[in-house]
Amino acid sequence: MLPEQSTEIDDKDEVYRKRYDKMQREFLKTLICDEIIEEHKNKPLGQHSEALERVLYYFRRAGMNDKYVVKCEEPFKKYKIMALSGVRGRSPRLVEDKIYETVQAAYHGLFLRRVQDLMEA
Amino acid sequence: MAEIKIFGYTDKLSVKQGEKIDFHVSADGTKTAKAQLVKLIHGDEHPDGPGYIDQEIDNKINGEWKVEKQFTQLGSFLKVKDPENKLAIDGDFTIFGYIYPSTPKTGHHQWIFSRWDNKTNEGYGIGINKDGYLELVVGDGKEVDYLISELPIVKKIWYFVAATFNYKTGEATLYQEGVLTRYNSLLGKVVPYDYRSHTKTTFRFKQKNNPNTPFIVSGAEDLHELRGRFISGTYAGKVDRHGVCSKVLSKEDLDKIRDGDLPENNSIVAYWDTTVGFSDNGINNTVIDIGPNKLNSEGHNHPVRAMTGWNWNGKNDNFRLAPKEYGGIDFHPDSITDAKWNITNSMIIPEDLKSGIYAIRLRSGPGTGLSEEYVVFFVRPKKPNSKLCFLVPTASYLAYANEKLSFEATIIQPMTGQPPTITDIDIEQYKNPEFGLSTYDSFADGAGVCFSSYKRPILNMRPKYRTSGMGITWQFPADLSIIGWLEHNKYEYDIITDEDLHKEGLDCVKPYNCLITGTHNEYYSEKMLNALEDFVSEGGRVFSSGANSYYWVVAFSDEQPWCMEVRKLEAGMRAWAAKPGEYYMQTTGEKGGLWRTRGRPPQKFAGVGFIAEGFDTAEKYRKMPDAWHRTVSWITEGVEGEIIGDHGLAYGGAAGVEIDRYDLSLGTPPHTKIIASSGGHSDNYVLVTEELLYAYAGLVGSLDYRIRADMTYFTAPNNGAVFSTGSIAFGQSLPSNNFNNSASTVMKNVIDAFIKDGKLPGGAWTLEEKQWK
Ligand SMILES: [Fe+2]
Repeated sequence: MLPEQSTEIDDKDEVYRKRYDKMQREFLKTLICDEIIEEHKNKPLGQHSEALERVLYYFRRAGMNDKYVVKCEEPFKKYKIMALSGVRGRSPRLVEDKIYETVQAAYHGLFLRRVQDLMEA
Repeated sequence: MAEIKIFGYTDKLSVKQGEKIDFHVSADGTKTAKAQLVKLIHGDEHPDGPGYIDQEIDNKINGEWKVEKQFTQLGSFLKVKDPENKLAIDGDFTIFGYIYPSTPKTGHHQWIFSRWDNKTNEGYGIGINKDGYLELVVGDGKEVDYLISELPIVKKIWYFVAATFNYKTGEATLYQEGVLTRYNSLLGKVVPYDYRSHTKTTFRFKQKNNPNTPFIVSGAEDLHELRGRFISGTYAGKVDRHGVCSKVLSKEDLDKIRDGDLPENNSIVAYWDTTVGFSDNGINNTVIDIGPNKLNSEGHNHPVRAMTGWNWNGKNDNFRLAPKEYGGIDFHPDSITDAKWNITNSMIIPEDLKSGIYAIRLRSGPGTGLSEEYVVFFVRPKKPNSKLCFLVPTASYLAYANEKLSFEATIIQPMTGQPPTITDIDIEQYKNPEFGLSTYDSFADGAGVCFSSYKRPILNMRPKYRTSGMGITWQFPADLSIIGWLEHNKYEYDIITDEDLHKEGLDCVKPYNCLITGTHNEYYSEKMLNALEDFVSEGGRVFSSGANSYYWVVAFSDEQPWCMEVRKLEAGMRAWAAKPGEYYMQTTGEKGGLWRTRGRPPQKFAGVGFIAEGFDTAEKYRKMPDAWHRTVSWITEGVEGEIIGDHGLAYGGAAGVEIDRYDLSLGTPPHTKIIASSGGHSDNYVLVTEELLYAYAGLVGSLDYRIRADMTYFTAPNNGAVFSTGSIAFGQSLPSNNFNNSASTVMKNVIDAFIKDGKLPGGAWTLEEKQWK
């Protein structure tokens, strides 16, 4: 954020949060590798290596705006990925048409999107 | 054609054979729905279990029901009872009161004190305009005059405001002054704000008073073609003492009222003293007018009382010490505690309908997802006729009713260790404020929700529902796994609910030998807890099947038993925190918070109490040395080896989700045996906050030995006993392998022993050992 932009923000806490977030992202990018992606694919929930766990902690703590969630179309059969609005009363939006046959596959698909967003940001 | 949606609720959750129950249904896109009475047997569709099971019951209620779209009044407000229209003032007036707006600038007009019709623009009132400025409005049905203050209202600051109108000259004034002290507002005296504004103008028009317009605090009368009369423009924030005079008060007069004086007696039309009516046992929803006309007002959708007022001095921390400092009443435009839908159909519960959990299944069109609804209710026998009883934790269902954590709580994913799994039903619930909030949510203005009611559809109190944050069944549908187990094993059982236990106390459970509690019976009123404690000490047996039980203090009023109050404060895993000075419940005058902070930790009654939650995985139990002790070895008879519960529909283990631990320092009965304990929980299982004095790194599953579920057993006087699983996931583990598994074996051993009259197994050894060691 440019200095002139930050002085426009009423809540100065947000200015620091953004700074902290940038440092986090820079560090977490260095942790992303094939190994942790494979690890997540094999076991999306539960205890993970420290590297994967740190990345997941970050993803889970993100703000609600545009945060990914799994959408169950048919229990135990059909899942999709949506993004929350972050605004009470406003529906989440579908982010892709891809169908996952298990919730574990959807968790991993969602993780891959988060990794991609992190690397591109 | 519009998408078909059906939702419903009943007028009561618990109903006896022979009694009447009303169904309130609203539907979109259809005028009819096919109704079928079903007995619910199992509610979890997880492929490792038996799936959804119900039983269709013949009854004349079955068949086509006429349904309609119903409307819901949102927002809390006070409506004044003014049968003689004393407030229809065709002359000079002054309106005044203390206000503490939570969100002054919303983009919508918020009415605070009004006798105004939003449809016809008739009447008078003061409110906050869409830009956040105080505003006096006067209208005659054709034209409207406004007077606005010079400075916008600052949020969460106490003000004294007033408006005067001279009927003859048309002179209108608007008075606004901050009355903040060191304690009462968000900000203190160091902030160099000027809160004061005094404006004046001459109106061209005068108020016209429609005889049908009510005087409303927080909102104004409105009319909609289909739904009829309702209240719109509700307000977010507190008010304290307020009133109306039939004369123009001078600035000096108003200064005196601002400082706490009453207006001159002969000018008062109404003076609502919001501090009148408190007792040690709380205050109800009636606000008392101490003026000559006694125009009391009634709360709708539970305006929150027992809130700190404009003159709260920070020393007295509850209304029982200083009621005069507790005139605050907090309003929320998104509060709803009674949907007040028309009755769609009614049913007399047949005398021969077995006690159990039932629903009216409604289907229309496709009959799945949003076009299928189960309106759930609980049938009690006319007279208890089993040794065994399942106590349905309806208070805890209320606490979680329509929670929106997955959509708006940043904390939910770190807590559950997974992304939410939502469905169309969750989205529908989130889109429609009419379904209301849970005690895990906050109002849009940021205040925690402290009332929850079942007079509205509760979409997570449905079979098949999976809680979105965790992707498993939770509360009601999880409890159906215990019902499924009872049915599978052909036990005779009765059903009672928390509401029955609260109303009837010990009498309600005394006839039974054994009570089974739900998987997560977290919310308890004092009467409920007392009844259970007396039950056990007089010889009853409790199979405490869940975890994080007997935790929050809650209150129910006799007049509105469908609505529960909870205040979350100081300690405990909590979704919000009550504000300083607002820790005592208006319903009973009791301090809210955890039972633990009132000298009754769950360990004292159940042997175990909340220690951790994680939600990403679940583990198994391993027998502890006590399991082989001759006094309790009967509990694990038939369980080969050391492992119990390495299976289940909640993350594949019987020990998990939320877990409880044995702790002598918190009152676990000293002779309690630990039959088995879990372990190896992931680091997503974190120690509960009430255990924390100092926070330090590593209070997680792999580093803290306390993080485990303890399965415990102790005996009580007169052949009473309590068995606790210490785990929410235990219930969901029962259906594995068609109810044939180690957790099920343990439960069967315990229930079989608990329902028998007379002595418990293992008791023969106690005399010989003198002490039960
Ligand atoms: Fe809970």
